[in-house]
Amino acid sequence: MPLSAVIEARGLSKVFQTTVRRPGLGGALRSLVSPRRVAKVAVQDVEFSVGKGELLALLGPNGAGKSTTIKMLTGILTPTSGEALVAGVVPHRDRERNAHNIGAVFGQRTQLWWDLPARESFAILRDIYGVPEGQYRARIEEFDGLLELSEFWDTRVRHLSLGQRVRCDLAASLLHDPPVVFLDEPTIGMDVVVKEQVRRFLRHQVEERDRTVLLTTHDMTEVERLAERVVLINHGRIVLDGSLHEIRRRFGGTWQVRATLADPADVEEIGRSEGTGGPVALPGFAGIGVLRREGPRVVFGPVGADSPSVHEALKVIIGRFRVADLALEENDLEDVMRAAYLSDVPAQEPAAASTSASASAPAPASQGG
Amino acid sequence: MNPTTSPSASPAAAESPTSRPGPPHGAAHAWRVVWRITKLNFKARLEYRGEFLMGIAVGAIWQVSIVVFASVLLTRFPGLGGWSSSDVLLIASMRMLAHGLYVLFLGRVQYMNLLVQEGVVDPCLIRPMPVYRQIQLAFFPVNAIGDLVVAVGLFVAALQRSSHDWTAGRITYVVAGVLGGMLVEAALFTALAAAAFHFPATSYWSQWLEELMGTFGSYPLSILPKAASAAFTFIVPLAFIAYFPAGVLTGHGGAMGVPEALAVASPFIGLMAFVLSRLLWSWSLRRYTGVNG
Repeated sequence: MPLSAVIEARGLSKVFQTTVRRPGLGGALRSLVSPRRVAKVAVQDVEFSVGKGELLALLGPNGAGKSTTIKMLTGILTPTSGEALVAGVVPHRDRERNAHNIGAVFGQRTQLWWDLPARESFAILRDIYGVPEGQYRARIEEFDGLLELSEFWDTRVRHLSLGQRVRCDLAASLLHDPPVVFLDEPTIGMDVVVKEQVRRFLRHQVEERDRTVLLTTHDMTEVERLAERVVLINHGRIVLDGSLHEIRRRFGGTWQVRATLADPADVEEIGRSEGTGGPVALPGFAGIGVLRREGPRVVFGPVGADSPSVHEALKVIIGRFRVADLALEENDLEDVMRAAYLSDVPAQEPAAASTSASASAPAPASQGG
Repeated sequence: MNPTTSPSASPAAAESPTSRPGPPHGAAHAWRVVWRITKLNFKARLEYRGEFLMGIAVGAIWQVSIVVFASVLLTRFPGLGGWSSSDVLLIASMRMLAHGLYVLFLGRVQYMNLLVQEGVVDPCLIRPMPVYRQIQLAFFPVNAIGDLVVAVGLFVAALQRSSHDWTAGRITYVVAGVLGGMLVEAALFTALAAAAFHFPATSYWSQWLEELMGTFGSYPLSILPKAASAAFTFIVPLAFIAYFPAGVLTGHGGAMGVPEALAVASPFIGLMAFVLSRLLWSWSLRRYTGVNG
């Protein structure tokens, strides 16, 4: 667990009691007299932490338990068991104090006043949170610069487009300068231009304002561009807590570097190390092996459990060999995530999740989409 | 877990909440915010001119049955169940006034089932303001203007026709009675709103309750069979909204089927009912499980 953990989920579970209707008219009448109550486990033993100034993506298929987890961390829902701690506050126990520490955007619902222009919603929130006028003006100016809000902030919220509305929601959630921000699918339904604008805004909030951000999204480009670390949740349990690289490695993410070597001595060296029973790791190249070779044209790929990312491999290859021509191939993250969502991988033990959280070094979010 | 004893939590706890400027406190700040939001909500409703005027008209027309009843009563009958027509008019006008004030100040709870389904409650839970207050500030009830215009007119008419001496004590009690009536109505709908956190079908009960109050709240309940009168006192306590306070004011205190002290205590009972309904609301809110996952 990072030392300066700002968000902590410790064994969080949420069980909803629902009524199951029996089939047919007779069943429906029977259910009316004697309803069958069943416990539906939405989230079970979720355990992770997020450090100060870190952006963590909480990923998982629909119904995996992402939103329920966020609602427990924001204090909207009370956990059935376990404990949430956000900026030193147990959210559901001290909602008002928690409210000053967090900002939240739920992409599918607005938190603004539907019949008022967005700017007046901002003014109301300024008053509710007691933001001093000078700070309020400075923040509004900053958010306008980043999100171009002034083009539409005098329009009533009900008349805004989705992209405009969510940009206003984002600004509204940060007006009181919270150190922690929860974003539940903030870019859902946005066009690519606005999505990119929102991503830049979020990166700015993490890098320049040192905010801690917990984000859920189904947009893998967003994950690649923003997330330092991901927590993969499925059927209410954590499946993986680590870097994107770890997800790729675990769920079949692979890469190939096709290189044409310029130096015959290098080609000869590689030829000597080639085996007959499939790719083997090159001596001195942890996790990188030769998949195929035709003369100077060599295809490198990952070998073994500790293979590096494509970028790390590329760095090693061009550092070691003289390369005349180069091409990269990498599995799309969406393919990897599809495999991860469909896989029946057992949930990570809470202790292991916690260790992984502390051990994983934040990977730079520099890959192109 | 005790957050203060968590070693990993302490750095963040030290950095974030304690080093940040404290939230604004005090009733003055709270009222300023309420006033500001109310003004903006009112302005928002004004933007739709037609809708605004229709809202006022609906509020007034909603009360037309009471006005018709009052007119018939005053022109055709000398009284009802031992009550003079002007005393009955006082019941009707106090109930209408209490209702108008309830709609204006506390009536948004009646839309609770819709607000829950629209997901309005979730953001309220992450803002530093009581959820009940935020719900009341969800929109401005334009129809309350119509309600109150009719109610004030009727109330003035009732006072003009009244043969009683309107001393300072009586005036104080009529004000307390109207406010108590407002709180009884608010308590009933707040209790239903507490249920709406979990059962959207409360809207049917809400409509039934409003209908019930409109129909029976303006008459002397002594004209009803004893069982019905008792039900409207102890089960759905609409007798405390206007019938008992008006009875105390017009000298019917001893002939209303309950000890006079209970009738006199109507404003206090209204306050207590409202406090209890708020406790029920808070209890229900703690068990709120959200909508749509």
